[in-house]
Amino acid sequence: MANHNIESFDAATATATLSLDNGVYPLDVVYGAAYALIDRCYVLLDKDGDGRGSRMLVHLRGKKPLDEAGLQALSGEFGNELLSQALRRKIIKQNGAIIEEIVTTAIAGAAGAAMPTDFVVEEEDDDLDFLDDPLGIAVPWEEKFKKDKSDNA
Amino acid sequence: MTTRTGGGDTAIRLHKSAYMAQAIRDAIKVFADFASFAVERDGDYYVVQVRDIDPEVDGDLTGEFCNFALVHTIERKRRTPGATGGAA
Repeated sequence: MANHNIESFDAATATATLSLDNGVYPLDVVYGAAYALIDRCYVLLDKDGDGRGSRMLVHLRGKKPLDEAGLQALSGEFGNELLSQALRRKIIKQNGAIIEEIVTTAIAGAAGAAMPTDFVVEEEDDDLDFLDDPLGIAVPWEEKFKKDKSDNA
Repeated sequence: MTTRTGGGDTAIRLHKSAYMAQAIRDAIKVFADFASFAVERDGDYYVVQVRDIDPEVDGDLTGEFCNFALVHTIERKRRTPGATGGAA
């Protein structure tokens, strides 16, 4: 661990404060982690006020009253979420072109551009009508066997 | 996180690099029925003065306000990548 006081807990205000290096956790990553925990705690972002400017302060306060152990757990979860978001961001950056190509292909396919030409029915060749019944499927059973019935009688 | 300024008033300091002015305005609209708000600039901060909080409000209004301002900022930045803050 670095020499910075990365985590601090204030029992009086039930607040955990994390000091994060912007080089390790960019603002987008902090936003992602905050968004994930926002249903369970109040989040306030701030810049480190000591003039260095390269550290972000994250104040977390539970929506339910928390003791120090609870605050430590919340702070730990936030740390894990930060790592998860950082990894996610890295993967998206690395595979951005592939993801874009897959999505483009999928959308083009849905729009019909990727359909094989064999399946494209041109209007001129379409001499079939939905009313045509070359196999006599729509003919009622009574009509079909009317003759045979009279012969038997 | 927040500063009590007496008489039940609270000042919330939101850093300009982390919160968008428009997002703060959006959050104020959401909570306008439950308290009165005033925004001032103080260097790199937007200072939101929260006064006259409705006594019937159940829960931490300033905490919820901070969350709303943050969520609106995140959503606005996702819609317009590269967007920065702006005049309050």
